[in-house]
Amino acid sequence: MYFLTEEEKKHLLKGLLPRSRELGIAEELRGWNWPAPPLQPVYDTVLALYEVANSYCPTNRDLYLRRVRRVFPAPSAAMVQGRVLHAALVHVLVSAKRLIYSVGVAQYQTICRELQELGPVNVESELQALAPEDAADLKRKVAIVTEFEKARIISRIQEILFKQPYIGEDSLAVLAIPVIVEQKLDGSFLGLSPNLSTDAFTVCEPMIVDLKFGERRDFHRLTTTGYALVMESLYEFPVNIGCLVYGSFRGDRLIINKDLHIIDDELRQWFIESRDEKARMVYEEIDPGFPAECYQGCHCYAACHG
Amino acid sequence: MMLKVSDVKQFLYCPRVVYFTYVMPVHRKVTRKMEYGKEEHLEIERLERRRGFRSYDLSEGERRYRTKLCSERLGVEGVLDMHIVCGSGCFPVEFKNTSRHPGLNHKYQLVCYAMLLEEQYGKPVRHGFLYLIPGKRVHVVEITPNARTFVRKTLDQIKMMIARESFPPAPRRPARCFECEYRNYCADVV
Ligand code: SF4
Repeated sequence: MYFLTEEEKKHLLKGLLPRSRELGIAEELRGWNWPAPPLQPVYDTVLALYEVANSYCPTNRDLYLRRVRRVFPAPSAAMVQGRVLHAALVHVLVSAKRLIYSVGVAQYQTICRELQELGPVNVESELQALAPEDAADLKRKVAIVTEFEKARIISRIQEILFKQPYIGEDSLAVLAIPVIVEQKLDGSFLGLSPNLSTDAFTVCEPMIVDLKFGERRDFHRLTTTGYALVMESLYEFPVNIGCLVYGSFRGDRLIINKDLHIIDDELRQWFIESRDEKARMVYEEIDPGFPAECYQGCHCYAACHG
Repeated sequence: MMLKVSDVKQFLYCPRVVYFTYVMPVHRKVTRKMEYGKEEHLEIERLERRRGFRSYDLSEGERRYRTKLCSERLGVEGVLDMHIVCGSGCFPVEFKNTSRHPGLNHKYQLVCYAMLLEEQYGKPVRHGFLYLIPGKRVHVVEITPNARTFVRKTLDQIKMMIARESFPPAPRRPARCFECEYRNYCADVV
């Protein structure tokens, strides 16, 4: 799901990359300038990156409940689905890498066969939280994602092997699966948790990738922006591009849409403002009140409205 | 209410400057620096008239100076230092007296002018220029959709601050307060 199509690659290489370099990001908004305002954290409240980026509740009362009132409502079905499908994808990608290294290029047919036979990740414990029909539906989706990703990786391995007769395991693994999944990052320089984890990070061009199952929302780009800032604060190289991968299902088909975007000045400022506002809310224990309308299926509904 | 394009610049530099302009007007001394700035703008204008368009990466065009622009829709007006009109469109140019990299507040001031020019000419403006007076350098600013949204959001924030008469916090960079003409009115800064 993280691999770009030919059109997306063209869009990235001919459109976004040159534009991102021309655009010029304000120096003060680069992650490596974390010791100075505006990046320097104002409060010593440590937030998780998703707490800064997500804004499903228009007033962010969910954050207040969790961090100030210490109320932890059970996750909604949509949240469980996102987590499980994400785990299904990680399972395939990591298993494929493991197979390449353990079996070796000489026996590539074994790699492909074993990958073909790989079963879906075990998510039984997660499914228990769901109603039986939701659990069955999610199981079906896990199988779809697993089969889709296996087929993609096998075809990539074969394509690379017919082009590169002398390739070794390490190179094959990087070319066939050029992403690091769940990369751990320390966000402390920016007032964020020291145990962050990006969904994926592409190795060829520094690009933060985040996987979503559900409707597109404008604040989703804050997730890629936050990770880009953290990467810059840690490694001091520019991260200019983000990619949101939206997965959805039409019957038994997996549909994938990508939102490739430049992590520009405005997104960076929006992320920092959001961090400061939310950190203040937690630090000063401010109840932000209720929005005009609570969103459908909010997992905090009972906690907020009794 | 009508805001000024320069309010966007000021607000992003320090929101209190805009507060002191609209909510609690106080006397502001015209400093020598401000007078000097005006003279310098006129001098640049005189020199610009004789130049070609190479530094703007354009082959031809017409320069128009100190154009009054206004948008009822956005609720903002201002006088743009210069703009270039040519076959490929029109481009706002703001003269800035800084040798450093232009600040974000200058960038959004230019974006705001670009939005006003679009309304005036009924054509999209793709980029604008900040002319940095000391080094005679031209800095290109792309007018992206996100930059437009940011300007709209800033205008809304200013209007909200004025409507609620809320005194905003001081900027987090103390160096800005040292140079400010309103410093005496902010009791909480050094
Ligand atoms: S129930 Fe309403 S106020 Fe509470 S967190 Fe959800 S959306 Fe926000």
